[in-house]
Amino acid sequence: MGEGIKLAILCCNYTNLAEREDLYEVPARLEIKRFPCGGHIEITDILRAFREGAEGVCVCACEQGTCHNGKGNERAEKKVVGARAILQEIGISPERLSFYYVPRLDAEAFVEDVKAFFSKILKEKVEERGK
Amino acid sequence: MIIAERRPIPEILENIAPYSRVLVLGCRGCVAVCSAGGDREVAILAEAIRLAREREGKPIEVIERTFIRQCDPEYLELLRELVPQVEAIVSLACGVGVNLIADLYPSARVYPGVDTSFYGANVVLGKWIEKCRGCGDCLIDKTAGLCPIARCAKNLLNGPCGGSQGGRCEVRKDMPCVWHMIIERLKERGELERLLEITPPKDWRPAGGDGLRVRVRPDLA
Repeated sequence: MGEGIKLAILCCNYTNLAEREDLYEVPARLEIKRFPCGGHIEITDILRAFREGAEGVCVCACEQGTCHNGKGNERAEKKVVGARAILQEIGISPERLSFYYVPRLDAEAFVEDVKAFFSKILKEKVEERGK
Repeated sequence: MIIAERRPIPEILENIAPYSRVLVLGCRGCVAVCSAGGDREVAILAEAIRLAREREGKPIEVIERTFIRQCDPEYLELLRELVPQVEAIVSLACGVGVNLIADLYPSARVYPGVDTSFYGANVVLGKWIEKCRGCGDCLIDKTAGLCPIARCAKNLLNGPCGGSQGGRCEVRKDMPCVWHMIIERLKERGELERLLEITPPKDWRPAGGDGLRVRVRPDLA
């Protein structure tokens, strides 16, 4: 069931260097979109990812206190709050959107977060089918 | 500035439900400053509308524009070529902009994308508080610049109601009692006697009680 799921990962370019091959254990169609900074990720980018077919969108930014630009990571988290409210208003579960603070350049932690997110979306889809 | 807040998206979607080509029109005036109707909010609402309509199986074309102001006919002139191209307009301007579009373009179906809330100040990032009610007859020269019409829940004119505790309003405990603030400030200045002058009942006609308000400046008109 998981192979059909499309996930979009919007992340700061400096958060991690992981590529699709590092995420081979995640049986989903993954689209990784990199931004110059987490603070550059807009609500429209998140909504567009859903419109382009993603069933789950995961926003990753650098751990607190490590953003190159000061507070770009915190801004990313706030954008996720705003986007989740909009998703709820238009009938999409806000759980389809997650935010993670990821240690810089630690691909392993990033991969674990993507795996956790995939499991969450998979569980939600199974529950939706059961309704 | 005029403070506004985006209307619930389901209400906006309901208004434009019959249409397949709409314009989301922002304003770079007050609503842009209060993050309700500027370029960024136009882009977000347009994307949300597209996403919602695609999920309904009724895709829609959304044109995005933001004008310098929507409360001036000269800026709304730019709308003339857009009106025939769309079936409806969602304006993210305050009610002034929506009304002026409706006045100038009677054939355009224009719907509000924001609720116009109040005149307020941006006290910290992401928070706006009412400071003026536009009542048309300022009395803040007597109250140390603090307005009891906008900032007192009971609009009292001659001192506090007696219900405030610890300097907090009894109606809104998260707000300071403005009369407490006025008295403390005048006391510090040694001007408390200013409040001995009784303010008569307020004439609400300049606040709109006498119908539509119009201001004319003869040297310009």
